[in-house]
Amino acid sequence: MGDILVITEHLKGEFQDITFEMLGKAKELAGASGGQCIAVTFGNMNGKAGELGMAHSVVSVGGSDDFNPESYAAAVQSVVSAKSPSLVMVGSTSMGMDIANSVATALDITTVSYCADMSSSDGGFSVTSSMYGGKMNVVTDVSGSAVAMVLAGAFNADAGKSAGSPTVEDFAVDSGAGKVRFKQLIEPEAADVDITQSDILVAVGRGIGSKDDIELAEELADILDADLACSRPLVDAGWMSKAHQVGKSGMKVKPKVYIALGISGAPEHIEGMKSSSTIIAINSDKNAPIFDVAHYGMAEDLFDVVEELVEELED
Amino acid sequence: MLSPNEQIAFILLVVVCGRLAFQGFNRIFKTVKSGAKADRSDNLVGRFMNALIDVFLQKPIAKARPIVSMFHSFIFFGFSFYLLVNMNDVLEAYVDGWTTIGSDNIVAKLFNVFADIFSVFVLVGMIFFLYRRFVQKPKVMEFNTNVKLHPGVSAGGLKKDSLIVGIFILIHVGSRWLGTAMHLAGNGHTDSWLPTASIISGLFSNWSHASLETGIHVTWWLAMGLIVMFLPYFPRSKHIHLIIAPVNLALGRKTARGAMDGISNPASPGSKTLSDLPWPQVLDPWACIMCTRCHEVCPAHESGTPLSPSALEINKRYFINEQGNALFNDAGETALMDYAISDDAVWSCTTCYACVEVCPVGNEPMMDIMEMRRNQVFDAKMPDELADVLRSLDEQGNSFNESARRRQKWSKKLDIKLKNATKEPVKYLWYVGDFASFNQNCQDTTRKVAEVLSAAGVDFGIMGKKEKSAGNDVRRTGEEGLFEVLAEQNIKMLEKCDFEEIFTTDPHTFNTLKNEYPDKGGNYTVKHYSTLLLELIQSGDIDLKKKLDIKATYHDPCYLGRYNGIYNDPRDVMKLCGIDLVEMPRNKENSFCCGAGGGRVWLPDHDDMTQRPSENRIEEAVAVGVNKFTVACPKDMTMYADAAKTSGNEDTMAVKDIIDFVLEAMDLPEPIMEEIASSYPNEEVSTEPQSEGLDL
Amino acid sequence: MKIVVPLNQVPDLVEDLEVDASGKALDTDDIKFKLNEFDDHALEEAILLKESGAGDEVVAMAIDRDGADKMLFTAIAKGADKVVKLTGGNPADSHQLGKAFANALESEGFDMVFTGVQSVDDRDGQLGPIVASYLGAPCVSVVSGISISGATAVVHKEYSGGMMGEFEVDMPAVLGIQAAKQAPRYAPVSKIRQVQETASIMEASMGDVGSANGSAVASMAPPAKGSGAEMLDDIDDLIDVLKDKGAI
Repeated sequence: MGDILVITEHLKGEFQDITFEMLGKAKELAGASGGQCIAVTFGNMNGKAGELGMAHSVVSVGGSDDFNPESYAAAVQSVVSAKSPSLVMVGSTSMGMDIANSVATALDITTVSYCADMSSSDGGFSVTSSMYGGKMNVVTDVSGSAVAMVLAGAFNADAGKSAGSPTVEDFAVDSGAGKVRFKQLIEPEAADVDITQSDILVAVGRGIGSKDDIELAEELADILDADLACSRPLVDAGWMSKAHQVGKSGMKVKPKVYIALGISGAPEHIEGMKSSSTIIAINSDKNAPIFDVAHYGMAEDLFDVVEELVEELED
Repeated sequence: MLSPNEQIAFILLVVVCGRLAFQGFNRIFKTVKSGAKADRSDNLVGRFMNALIDVFLQKPIAKARPIVSMFHSFIFFGFSFYLLVNMNDVLEAYVDGWTTIGSDNIVAKLFNVFADIFSVFVLVGMIFFLYRRFVQKPKVMEFNTNVKLHPGVSAGGLKKDSLIVGIFILIHVGSRWLGTAMHLAGNGHTDSWLPTASIISGLFSNWSHASLETGIHVTWWLAMGLIVMFLPYFPRSKHIHLIIAPVNLALGRKTARGAMDGISNPASPGSKTLSDLPWPQVLDPWACIMCTRCHEVCPAHESGTPLSPSALEINKRYFINEQGNALFNDAGETALMDYAISDDAVWSCTTCYACVEVCPVGNEPMMDIMEMRRNQVFDAKMPDELADVLRSLDEQGNSFNESARRRQKWSKKLDIKLKNATKEPVKYLWYVGDFASFNQNCQDTTRKVAEVLSAAGVDFGIMGKKEKSAGNDVRRTGEEGLFEVLAEQNIKMLEKCDFEEIFTTDPHTFNTLKNEYPDKGGNYTVKHYSTLLLELIQSGDIDLKKKLDIKATYHDPCYLGRYNGIYNDPRDVMKLCGIDLVEMPRNKENSFCCGAGGGRVWLPDHDDMTQRPSENRIEEAVAVGVNKFTVACPKDMTMYADAAKTSGNEDTMAVKDIIDFVLEAMDLPEPIMEEIASSYPNEEVSTEPQSEGLDL
Repeated sequence: MKIVVPLNQVPDLVEDLEVDASGKALDTDDIKFKLNEFDDHALEEAILLKESGAGDEVVAMAIDRDGADKMLFTAIAKGADKVVKLTGGNPADSHQLGKAFANALESEGFDMVFTGVQSVDDRDGQLGPIVASYLGAPCVSVVSGISISGATAVVHKEYSGGMMGEFEVDMPAVLGIQAAKQAPRYAPVSKIRQVQETASIMEASMGDVGSANGSAVASMAPPAKGSGAEMLDDIDDLIDVLKDKGAI
């Protein structure tokens, strides 16, 4: 079998957790299939190759330190063309999406998105994708080359962290047409709350129904001395500010207790909170995917539960 | 008898003022004509006869404010009679020797006594009204501070107009009365047919003949001259309601209240400007007497929000007056929502119909709002929450954003199996409705209805997941297209079913099925469940064994009562259950809306709201000394159950549905429920749970 | 500036989803389809740019399937100038879908293509970058802020933790839209019905969509319940848990 290429992801000079999550799994899969696990780094990240101990070797494409959809995709495309790996693992992230699809289409390779699990199967890999808002797991068997986009948090980051000294190869790549130019990184506005530091979070999702009803969640948060959080749709609707958003493009939180109210549990949200010590989910749909990640749950109307809870706690 | 110069002068005055007045009236006519089409030409004779009779009996105004209405009647009868009086005055001026004073003719004597008494009526009435507006200044005549007002109104225009009219009437009638007194003084003796004039004739007893003669001429000119000079002011004043109100009443809408008019121009539905409104609604401002009866009964205004139906009509009128002839050019393109009513106010209306019901001159401010909503919605201008609900109704067929398959979930707790009306024939098709199906405060009531009907052996069934919202409130938020789609789909489904009658617990559903679906091709016999319950009790199918010795009050739902005239069926049901019914002051057609209609149940309360209409109503019930508040509508149930809590009356006021009383009075034994379960075929409609949608 | 927006329908997640007898696909019996919400955002952003004067023409495209007509008429009701239905095939996966749109876009011409960043069923890749690759055009996806300056767009690409990367993109280009500047507007049914009377849908051939992406579904199943949440019965249990975990 061929090698497994892991496209590393970094921001502000640090490798992101997804890199290690993928490395750990790649090493495992490569081991089983007799190939090598090769990490691809960008810009000056080859300087931190020592963190990528899980990889057998590192291919450094150089180029810009700042992510650029066009040049990074072109670079990866060059590497994949040259190395012909049997599997390319890319993060199912904002950065990964630009790279994975572009490379796969240009090279006419199979793509599999939203990978929550992977294993070797005869002649190739068996990839499980979390689809339809997390309601269905779809298994795809791939053989020959494939690009797999891996969900953040699907695998364990610690299992992929290992100090080491993989050989680093400088690789000349195509730099792309120059039609996309990075200008600057924009930090989020300083907010009145940093939910990544909160011990207890009361998170609301679409089930809250209306902006006014968020008040109820606020009452609960007050009593528990907790902060409010929310899923993306509430931020898009203007009901809450981005500082409260938990999920793929929001905050990643690990509170002691995460109370999810009216949140269905789509992967993009889970990604942001699955590391919470205790997850309690209240959702009137007993089949909601959130109950798979939650530690405790109640399949009840969130308004009834929260009202009663607030009443009881007030006494 | 006037001097020849005076006679000529008066004729000239009539001509000049008449011409000016005519121009004013002509502008009214032209403005009304510029309104959109509406057909009110049916049975014109009958319409006018009925209107005149109603006006003569003072019925429209007596609907509210009885004491004030009494004083109005004084003025009405007095002023009406004054037509004859003025004619007599003209004769006196032009016909040598003509007078009714001192005549032996019985007609003349009767004329005199009426003229005398009515003069005083009018004066007393007018003084009362001036006192009311300027001294007493009742709060109800004020607009909430957040109501959009035309600058002319804010500057005190209403008071100014009232003052002008009031003073005119006082002088007109007063001077005529004084003139008569002077006449008597001149004759040297009183006349028992002119009692009050006789009394004050004493004031002039020592006036010289010449002075009296002058006085009589002066009072004549004051009376008659003033009324002629007043003519051009007429079209700019609320005083014109004398003429316009009866016309407005005669040409009023006679079709079913619960049937909204269709859209005349689908490419541009509803009304943006004054001329987009159907012409009877363009006529409304001139009928308006600025009495504020409408906003007194308006749940939106009463709860502090920016809607005043009164301000709407008044603003229209002030705008028209201000624009003058510019109205027929570009001023006519000004949007109503720029000057007459604010965006917030348009969406504050609950469509309860109280304003239309109470208006003494037949105005329909609510219809203006409906037209404006249609226009706004066509351009997707509406509160965001409403857009979400409409999307839900479009995609899922219900306003709760729940999967249609969950529509029958309420029945899972029942021991009985319900017939599926889409699969087998039933006698009664039960159109359950969104709220009764999905809202957790209402589901208990829905289940009890099923239990009662089952126990009574009624052959009924439901459509389950095939049922969609009937669309009554969708139409009232202005989304005519969505209403049509829902109606089409529902009618298609109903056509597949085999049933004799439809019944529903929801008055909104009842209203549209009964009044609006025929126009869309769905003609059914539709009943509210209170009617059905009454029939079943009277026929003995429902056997009431216990007499409940309870006192309770009953709240008339807007769409059952005011809209469809059904007041007694629910009351009869309650009485047959042995309930001692205590009425609230605002009952039957004066019922006070819970605040949920017109899509309001889907919208957040306005920031300025001081007290929810439903809380206000609960307090009314508390005040009549009952502890049971009876409803016959699922939206009422959820609104009042909540209001009882939020108004602090959770332990003092229980909210009951009429079905609660029926079920209790039936006193069913336990084993019967199991027997019933086995007598229905095993038809269970799938009720899968649903998810909350993609959540990131 | 001409913006073309490909629109796709996806299963409505309000319904419960079940696997069919083959074990490899969704049971289509009780499934409802609706416009992919990110495509809705893409359309909204395009229309907003047109309304602000930055764009001149908005064109919506859809594959000829059940419900495509309504979707396209709805786009017109929202403000699209022209709508095109692609006929002559049935794309089986994201790559074929991408090729179909790429073919049509080449004939239609464009300055910008806005697609939804992803959809609930795009197992085999996200449409935006795929279309861009076939067209040889630059692409930035996960975009939630666009401003136009001549033939260049300045876009904000969302990273995690609230961070964003600002990029300049030369047109013609493809953007994968995460969120428009405001929530997608409501299209009044009254207006859609009116539009159905007056507007017309253009048709174009989707051309050769090539072969499928080569990843067939082996199996499909709801996630294993196994170690799911411990379901609590009442509030008291919930309070116990909260106390136990240190929340109270």
